[in-house]
Amino acid sequence: MRLGMVIDLKRCIGCYGCQIACKAENGTRPGTTYARVVKREWGEYPNVKRLSIPVLCMHCGEPPCVDVCPTGASQKRECDGIVFVETDVCVGCRACVMACPYGARYFQDESRDYFGTGENAYEECVYAAHQSGVVEKCDFCRARLEQGLEPACSANCMCKARIFGDLEDPNSEVSRLIREEGGFQLNPELGTDPSVWYLPPER
Amino acid sequence: MSSIDRLDLRRHDLGQVYRPQRDWIDGRGLLIVVAHFFSGIGAGAWLWSTLYDFRIGQWLSVACVLGLSGVAHLAFLGRWDRFWRMLRRPHRSWISRGIWAIGVFGLAACGVLWPAARSGPVGGFALGLSVAAACAILLYEGFVYAASRAIPFWRTRLLPALYIAYGLRGGAALLLVTAALGGDGFDVASVEAVKLWVVASTAVLVLLYLVAGSRAGGAARESVSQLVAGRISPSFYGGTVLAGIVLPIGLTLGGDALALPELVLLGAIGIASLLGDFYVKYCIVKAGVYVPLVGSAGVQRSGS
Repeated sequence: MRLGMVIDLKRCIGCYGCQIACKAENGTRPGTTYARVVKREWGEYPNVKRLSIPVLCMHCGEPPCVDVCPTGASQKRECDGIVFVETDVCVGCRACVMACPYGARYFQDESRDYFGTGENAYEECVYAAHQSGVVEKCDFCRARLEQGLEPACSANCMCKARIFGDLEDPNSEVSRLIREEGGFQLNPELGTDPSVWYLPPER
Repeated sequence: MSSIDRLDLRRHDLGQVYRPQRDWIDGRGLLIVVAHFFSGIGAGAWLWSTLYDFRIGQWLSVACVLGLSGVAHLAFLGRWDRFWRMLRRPHRSWISRGIWAIGVFGLAACGVLWPAARSGPVGGFALGLSVAAACAILLYEGFVYAASRAIPFWRTRLLPALYIAYGLRGGAALLLVTAALGGDGFDVASVEAVKLWVVASTAVLVLLYLVAGSRAGGAARESVSQLVAGRISPSFYGGTVLAGIVLPIGLTLGGDALALPELVLLGAIGIASLLGDFYVKYCIVKAGVYVPLVGSAGVQRSGS
């Protein structure tokens, strides 16, 4: 099995719902957004177009972050292809941050809170699960998967722009969409073989 | 810089087409450049000192590699208390190989410098091992950067060659400064002659590296333009070019006209070279930008 995601750029309206759902699920500190939305504009007035591109860890088939990790903290699960960080083993050398072409890794270098007035009760609760001095990233919500749920970003996408499934199953919806709707990966020339695919915004 | 400023910077960077790397240069990230600077000149100094049997240089080399570089490495890590875990993956990671090289160098150098072990087979073995480990230290630094698939400016075999050359010339410069400060038992003239050749060759390597970068695609070209005409150009021209190349060559070739004492001149050449060695590493690391996230073939085809 190889878990992956298809993101339909035609359906995405750039509402940041995935980003908020991810932050709520993982309780990440300010500046850390495992799932973020990149906006790109092109053309000239009055013919201007805007594209919203949700970006997360691509859970690459050939993850460069795993190769460069000196401790083995960055790992890829053989059973489903999820790339994750064993934070108890990470030394915070940030070699993986340099190696990741997708900006999916975040070094937790200081204790920040959202309002600059010290951590509130909610923040104290959710930040307790995070170590400082280590690198963190999206893990496709492993805890949710173990409960039979989808990752928070795809479960909460109100436009159904994110579809989660098994890329190795030719009958899965993700495989069908990639095959029939012209799915593509980001930066395929780097040889990372991402497990997150995109469907073109115009088709 | 306050937390809010750093957050704004991160948000700004994530919106950029060419996102600059900051984790290995800003704030505590600068320590990795400092660490590589000291381990490079330390390893270079060990090789020169061993070649010319210069005992003070060997002690200085150990102080640079194990002391200054070691402390900078540990201070750079987010969790220094787990540093020993970096020994676990020499078969995959250049960082791990470098940590092994530094560790082996430390043990072997102690064997060389320990009076009881200096002569005899143990001393000979330790000397050979220390030279091999010093070469490995010079080699690994460039490959740490070249292994970063996301930053095209670093991803070239010229970078390890550049780091080796700068490590060697930095080591020679350290010995020149030591000689100027009164270190004796060291043939200054022979190192000076070799050093001129090394400085000239590093100048050629820097030029080749920039030319290769400007032909290696969008992100690498952006890095080159930031070096030669952008936000890093003051450091590049002032530190790498002027202090690191022009001054050492100028003082070596035209130093006689200044009528300075020879050791003062050598010290000035050495200090200028060391500044240049630091700045070339600083500039190359600072110029690293990530490959664009979007703008890949698929998005351009579908969206434009």
